[in-house]
Amino acid sequence: MATQQLTCDNADCNFASDGKCVEGYEVGGCPHTESLSLEDIPEVEESITPPIQPETTIALASGEALDSDDASVLQRRNVARSIGLIAPNDAGKTSLIAGVFDLFQMGSIAGAQFAGSSTLIGFEKVCHLARVASQTSVPHTERTSRGAEPTFFHLDVYQEQIGLISVFISDRSGEDYLAANDQISQTEHFFEIRRADCVTLLVNGAQLADSKLRHEVKATTPQIVEALIEAGTIRKGCRLAIVLTKKDSVMASKNRERIERDFDGLVASISVNHAASLGEVKSFVVAASPKDTEHVVRGEGVADLLRYWLQPNMPVASIDDGELPKFERMIDLLTDTGVKK
Amino acid sequence: MIGERHISIMGLPSSGKTTFLAALWHMVREPGANTELSFDQLSEGNYEHLNALAKRWRFGSIQQRTQVSGARAVTMRLKDTDGRKAEVSFPDLPGEDFSHMWERRELDKGILETLKAPLLVLMINGDTIKMPAWVAEWNALSKKMRVKPAAKEVVEWKAEVAPTQVKVVDLLQMLMSGELKIGGRRLALLISAWDQVEGEGETPAQILESKLPLLSQYLKSGRDPWTWQVWGISAQGGRYEDPDKNESFAETDRLRDLERASDRIKVVEEVHVGSDITKPLKWLIG
Repeated sequence: MATQQLTCDNADCNFASDGKCVEGYEVGGCPHTESLSLEDIPEVEESITPPIQPETTIALASGEALDSDDASVLQRRNVARSIGLIAPNDAGKTSLIAGVFDLFQMGSIAGAQFAGSSTLIGFEKVCHLARVASQTSVPHTERTSRGAEPTFFHLDVYQEQIGLISVFISDRSGEDYLAANDQISQTEHFFEIRRADCVTLLVNGAQLADSKLRHEVKATTPQIVEALIEAGTIRKGCRLAIVLTKKDSVMASKNRERIERDFDGLVASISVNHAASLGEVKSFVVAASPKDTEHVVRGEGVADLLRYWLQPNMPVASIDDGELPKFERMIDLLTDTGVKK
Repeated sequence: MIGERHISIMGLPSSGKTTFLAALWHMVREPGANTELSFDQLSEGNYEHLNALAKRWRFGSIQQRTQVSGARAVTMRLKDTDGRKAEVSFPDLPGEDFSHMWERRELDKGILETLKAPLLVLMINGDTIKMPAWVAEWNALSKKMRVKPAAKEVVEWKAEVAPTQVKVVDLLQMLMSGELKIGGRRLALLISAWDQVEGEGETPAQILESKLPLLSQYLKSGRDPWTWQVWGISAQGGRYEDPDKNESFAETDRLRDLERASDRIKVVEEVHVGSDITKPLKWLIG
């Protein structure tokens, strides 16, 4: 039952304080009084928000692959090389990124020492499925989601005589680059290619070995380059590395010679058709994360590619003298050790 | 007086931090010990924790895991051979604090000042270095041995499965960035459990290069301003017993039979082998 009390609306009456009616009425008989119920008093809402506790921890850098803003900040710290990685047709982009880091886990690569990285968690994640700790028997790595913003893997590398160079490797879905073949306006989003010092195009060796898939690879790979150059996304004078991946599949294939011809033809056509735009076209063959090491050494060819990534760009003027970019034949790269003759 | 020196001891869990402190405290107070730093005098502080550690160490008992809640400050007043005095403080931090930095990407505010020490001891257990192993080589080996790898469910990635050298490099990078950045620091890198490693016939620098190549490259590159040196250290000299498990080893008895308790200690600098556990600290203090 609600408790009630009387109040008076006569401003001259002090009934509330002295209990006496200024007009002399009995309690309850005054026409100016009215009962006030506690139910009439609006309830004050109690805050259910818990009291704010002082922070007891400090957040440290995530160690994940960087977004473009964080990559830009780091790029101003040292001499930097941006690598725009284009990997259509499941060509092994993540395996290559993982393969570079995993080689540093065993020692310096081609005279380049590991000097640090802001993305060690990111590297460890992409390396996991090639490691025994994952308990998988077939090394593979996850693909990047289509439509997602690119991320950047960061490595600081030290070389005698040259010093410190920061390498930033972009990671965007291969399907996004393939979409540029359908709609050239897609290329406007590819800022990581516009700012790249070396664009690196991966060609899936396993698919080139497959009779059903090889023509698709041969057709779409040059088309991507064409779209990116036509849209001005690949900067004039930019170096282009064309990398045949999954060397273990190539070496195990009965179509090995055909793959060599296909790949050499592909490299030659890109070199000739875009001589006026590209600074240099160079081909590589890698086995970044092979299924086994029967025909190849794990990481084969990766050191050569890293060395190329670390090179400075040629001045743009030097490509305007009409000379065709140089390229090497794949057969020269498919040696036992993967090291150039 | 050299002055007050704050040295932080870092290391992942079971890297030997507490055993190092126990052996150090014993040795600087051991009568007749020939060390570069020796005990000067007791200060007002509480020595109960240090004495308890040293007692277990002398018994040949393994140390209990360091309490996970917070650091225990340990202070020693030491003097060098020229009589110059230094008050050296070592917070005895649990290894979990360091593994959380790698795994959870956060730092307990309570240890912020501790980790800002300009002088650091970093301990890595040489017997439990986790190195990366790759499926490609594993498959090749299985094929060679004609063993078909058993089909297992793929294990999701977890930060804790990362190789030791990756975790340690990231810890050192963290100490050189953000709120922990104080500029150049001195780092004594101690590869502990040296008695388990020495059979490989390599010097501490060679072990660093062969078993922790990523860490070796990072330090040698000089990107971050570390002044560093590496030692091999065996603060126990061999296997100790766990009294909670009623263990009893002949090896531990042999260590107890040595003339001086400090004879169990082995400190390796390049090819020189000694027992002076204060050498890395003297190098740090300068």
